[in-house]
Amino acid sequence: MTKSIEFKQSSHLNPELLDPAARNSNADKIIGRWVNTNSDTRGIAEIIIEHDGEGFRIGVIGVGADEPIEWPATKAKALANLEEEAGQRALALAATFDFGFMRAETHIRLNKGVLVIVEFNTFHDDSGRMSYVNREFFYRKG
Amino acid sequence: MRVRFAQLCDRVEIDAAAERPIDHSALLGVWVNSNPETKGIARLAIAEVDGKPKLEVQAIGPDSLINWGATDITVFASSPSSRKGVGFTCRYDFGFAETRLQGMILKGLAVLSQFHIFKDDSQRVDYFVREYFALEHGLY
Repeated sequence: MTKSIEFKQSSHLNPELLDPAARNSNADKIIGRWVNTNSDTRGIAEIIIEHDGEGFRIGVIGVGADEPIEWPATKAKALANLEEEAGQRALALAATFDFGFMRAETHIRLNKGVLVIVEFNTFHDDSGRMSYVNREFFYRKG
Repeated sequence: MRVRFAQLCDRVEIDAAAERPIDHSALLGVWVNSNPETKGIARLAIAEVDGKPKLEVQAIGPDSLINWGATDITVFASSPSSRKGVGFTCRYDFGFAETRLQGMILKGLAVLSQFHIFKDDSQRVDYFVREYFALEHGLY
């Protein structure tokens, strides 16, 4: 008896999803040290992406008032990226940084050699700050 | 009050007396996929229900559109001191899979990042895709 595959949109049936290699495709393109293209940023200065053999880890250096702020290194979820043309495809990463007073849900992807991070930040303290979304761009430094 | 921050742009002080919720009006409406050949999401309808924004997704199926139903969304502003809603997140749990959506408005387009995570034994890999949506404004 054949088992039907459940779906909620046609792309759930894309045969490429049955290729386990898709999850880590072109991982070497995204692993490394990335520096913000905007030298005046008040957000993220650097992103370091590593693979420890089991999975991806993301380190972030935030811009601080007096010195850089190292975010706790966080495991990232790797996802196959079906959006780019085949030759440019590299996996996408999703990671959540929890500081207690703030939570940053992020995703990271490559676009023509530029690393793009999108942050959805939520504050959990009583500062009255609004949840907000931000996007920044990085070039490879190593 | 001394605010805690992980990046300098978050070091802002908010007047507690002026606290108001984020204005989600810019998100409201029907957003249509710019790609007529999409095999993903065809349209997003965001409406206010009892003062809160709700999203209803219509996705492309093999024969017809598939309605994912309505779900609450969390609205995001453009900065920690802004009240203008320009983004949202939400989650659909289908049992066999979970789809997380992260949307943001850029230059009048809604850019929707989708994270599809399979929970069944189909051996499908989790995947990411991003699509663009234009607001049906009826002006032209």
